[in-house]
Amino acid sequence: MGVNKLVRKWIESREKKPESEYEEAKRQFEMAIGQPFITLKLEIPAGFEEFSNEFRKLENDYQFQEEVKDLIKKRLLLASRLKKST
Amino acid sequence: MDPVQILFILIYLLTILITATKIVPMSVAALIGALLTVWFGLLYDVFGYEEALGFIDMKLIFLLLGVMIVVEVAERSGLFRFGALYAVKISRGNPTLLFVSVCVVAAAVSVFLSDPTAMLLIAAAMATITKLLRYDPVPYFVSAMVMINLGGTSTLIGSVSNMIIGLQAGFSFTAFIEYLALCELALWALTIFVLYMLFKSRLGEKKELPEYNPWESVKDKKFFYRSILILILLVVLFLTLENLGVGAEAVALGCAIIALALSNSDPADIFKKLDWETIFFIAGFMFVVGGLESTGLLNDISTQLFQTVGQSPLGASIATLWASGLASGAVSNIAVALTFSPIISGVAALNSAAVWSALVLGTNLGGAMTPLSGAVMMMGIGALKREGISLSFAEFTKVGVITSLVQLGFASIYLIVRFNLWV
Repeated sequence: MGVNKLVRKWIESREKKPESEYEEAKRQFEMAIGQPFITLKLEIPAGFEEFSNEFRKLENDYQFQEEVKDLIKKRLLLASRLKKST
Repeated sequence: MDPVQILFILIYLLTILITATKIVPMSVAALIGALLTVWFGLLYDVFGYEEALGFIDMKLIFLLLGVMIVVEVAERSGLFRFGALYAVKISRGNPTLLFVSVCVVAAAVSVFLSDPTAMLLIAAAMATITKLLRYDPVPYFVSAMVMINLGGTSTLIGSVSNMIIGLQAGFSFTAFIEYLALCELALWALTIFVLYMLFKSRLGEKKELPEYNPWESVKDKKFFYRSILILILLVVLFLTLENLGVGAEAVALGCAIIALALSNSDPADIFKKLDWETIFFIAGFMFVVGGLESTGLLNDISTQLFQTVGQSPLGASIATLWASGLASGAVSNIAVALTFSPIISGVAALNSAAVWSALVLGTNLGGAMTPLSGAVMMMGIGALKREGISLSFAEFTKVGVITSLVQLGFASIYLIVRFNLWV
């Protein structure tokens, strides 16, 4: 391990406030001025328990997030058309 | 130097080393030092058991607890978040205005909030706004770190080291403002200018800021107004009651009780959020310094220092400023304040407002020199990393060293002029 990596690891070990506190503080600012976002809690579908590792990896899968965004776009467009028709 | 003195120096150095390297949490490091001090102190009859118990300054512990409780209650109301949101809003997407308002708010919130808590708040705000406007976050994060370290230099409750020095020096809340407020305000302007010159090419272009209302972030307006009242009450009571002989710790504890009574939060939850790490670090380190003092070593240093620079108020003040400033760049400024205070109070000729002011300025200004100088730098760099930006040790140190040297240089001139030291 290089000196730079050692120093960085040491710096990180000295951080005081846990990540969750930072993320919570950031969430509050994002809600106030950032782009609107939602947080979903999704459980693994029944019968797919053997894929639990692959399922967990989806949380940080960029491709998966893009697919979900496409689904949201379709859903919002549908909602918009339904609104106009009524 | 006798063997017992050498033993206590080794305990002191060991405590500093363990604290700085963070092999164990800093509170545990100081408590290990305290344990060794008491063990060997009693074994070699350096001090008695009752004398050892007197090493802890309960006034300081009560002052810390009182201020921490008041600020924790105020923070829960969203008061400081509101301030940060407002600062971003008034910039109207102008990067220069955003930069200046962020710097001012970062320093202002750290007058009340502990530095790590202020950094958490400002880092969260900066991560959001720089991502939204697609700005380079580094100038905003690094400047916030430097300004948070600077904020609160001229108030008794602005930093833990100020509380330590204030109680030792007998500086009241008013005395702090009288001696140092002008210097701090000038340092704010000077530091913002230096940071702006260092970062102006990286601030980004003017962009449209989305419309938002900072008031929407305030969930309970009654609690919000009550928190403002509590903070005003704290300052007013400090200004008035101290003149009537009431100690700062009593004012802080009184305000804490009022804050707890007016808060909607569960007191147990508030107590849990207090910075116990710092409180135990101070308690432990007081034993280590108390042990050194009992061996007569600090008195020897005071005498030596008096012979070297003590007969010249200018020399004593400038030496204290730079020695404490550079030491704070390497180790915790709390440890520096606890070590320097008995040395200064040990010699009557050194015990002057100018030297104490120099110590206040040194311990505060030296705290942002390198990423290792304080918890704020660690947090800021950690937050940047979470945003996908890797800030190198050298990149921060370059800014930290430049701003610290400019600040210490200005503080030297201020001390000479304010206290007529050239005479």
